[in-house]
Amino acid sequence: MKRAALVFTIAMVAMSLLAVAPVYAANIIDEWASVKTPAPPALKAVTVDPKTTALLMLDFVKPSCNEQRGKRCVATLPAVKKLLDAARGKGMLVVYSGYGKLTQKDIVPEVAPEGSEPFVVSSLNKYIHTDLEKILKDKGIQTVITVGTFAHGAVLLTADTSAELGFKVIVPVDGISADAIYGEQYTVWHLANAPGFASKITLTTIDMMKF
Amino acid sequence: MKIRILWAVSVLASALLSAAIDAVPARAADIIDEWANVKAPPAPQLKPVTVDPKTTALLMLDFLQQNCGKRPRCLAEMPAMKKLVDAAHAADVTVIYSAFGKVPATDIIKDVAPTAKDALIHADANKFRNPDLDKMLKDKGIKTVITVGTGPSGAVLFTASGAVLRGYNVIVPVDGIAGDDLYAEQFTAWNLVHATPQFAKLVTLTRSDMIKF
Repeated sequence: MKRAALVFTIAMVAMSLLAVAPVYAANIIDEWASVKTPAPPALKAVTVDPKTTALLMLDFVKPSCNEQRGKRCVATLPAVKKLLDAARGKGMLVVYSGYGKLTQKDIVPEVAPEGSEPFVVSSLNKYIHTDLEKILKDKGIQTVITVGTFAHGAVLLTADTSAELGFKVIVPVDGISADAIYGEQYTVWHLANAPGFASKITLTTIDMMKF
Repeated sequence: MKIRILWAVSVLASALLSAAIDAVPARAADIIDEWANVKAPPAPQLKPVTVDPKTTALLMLDFLQQNCGKRPRCLAEMPAMKKLVDAAHAADVTVIYSAFGKVPATDIIKDVAPTAKDALIHADANKFRNPDLDKMLKDKGIKTVITVGTGPSGAVLFTASGAVLRGYNVIVPVDGIAGDDLYAEQFTAWNLVHATPQFAKLVTLTRSDMIKF
């Protein structure tokens, strides 16, 4: 009898505890530690048509691409310079971007703009509050190559929006960088798996591109 | 003798130095080479938040039979989302639904179906690609949006980011953004409060039962 009473009391206490406990579905914060990184996507060789392809040089600016802030960006500069020279050599359209109050003069000297190469200013998504879409469409551009820093901001949002706008997108992984390597990794995975747009995006390296 | 010892020491030192240089791996060429070394950052903190019903809109993104209906994690959120949308309606908060393609309102998951006064906009991942959304929000004097929906790497990530880049405060309840890929969901939660200082300032990561109207 005493035992039955004890079991009853324990059951009542357990039920009352359950009643006051918050009820919500498991969410990503609860599951944070169990998240597995997917396998890296495959890189593919790509041949570029210089007449219909533009090179988007995203936020290679001194405040974000220096040895103190943007060390990984600095490490991309030799390869990006090679790509830039190849693009210019083929007469391709090259468009630069910055953010805030930055100007062309704030681009790092190693990959500085030349002549009348356009410069657009916007935070992360370079299509917002700029005429980038018009610049590209007026020149008959069908494909954009996106390189730059703030991989998980400028590259992610601009590349994704480019695909959404109907452009084909080429992303050389050795031309993008982020101080937070986790953000850089996700960006690469996302661009290979972007819902609805992955078929328009090619992940490659600068050496795997032919003009 | 001293010269011989010095010579032997210098030969040994250069051999050791050479071996040490060989042992240092060359800098990895790109993120694919570094893939296995990448660690997820710590989980962000959730914060309680009180919103002003007059200047807040709840964006219910793509809770459709076609996607949410096939994602157990999304369906598991429906009780919490029903509570959230009921609370928003009770507080007279603007509620806007979205769908992709030409999917009609009748395809929205029944538990969280819109009422007659709620709006529905159509757009793919980034709902701000449809200019009606920004106009609707501005016309109503909205300053804060609560973004919930599926999937995290599409509608939620890009619409919440689009809202930040247009200057809105953004509230993201993590129990309302499930898709079918935990990695994408984790990044979305992290990036929305870490992408730039502007994101850190404007985005509040929370849980639906931590929102007060």
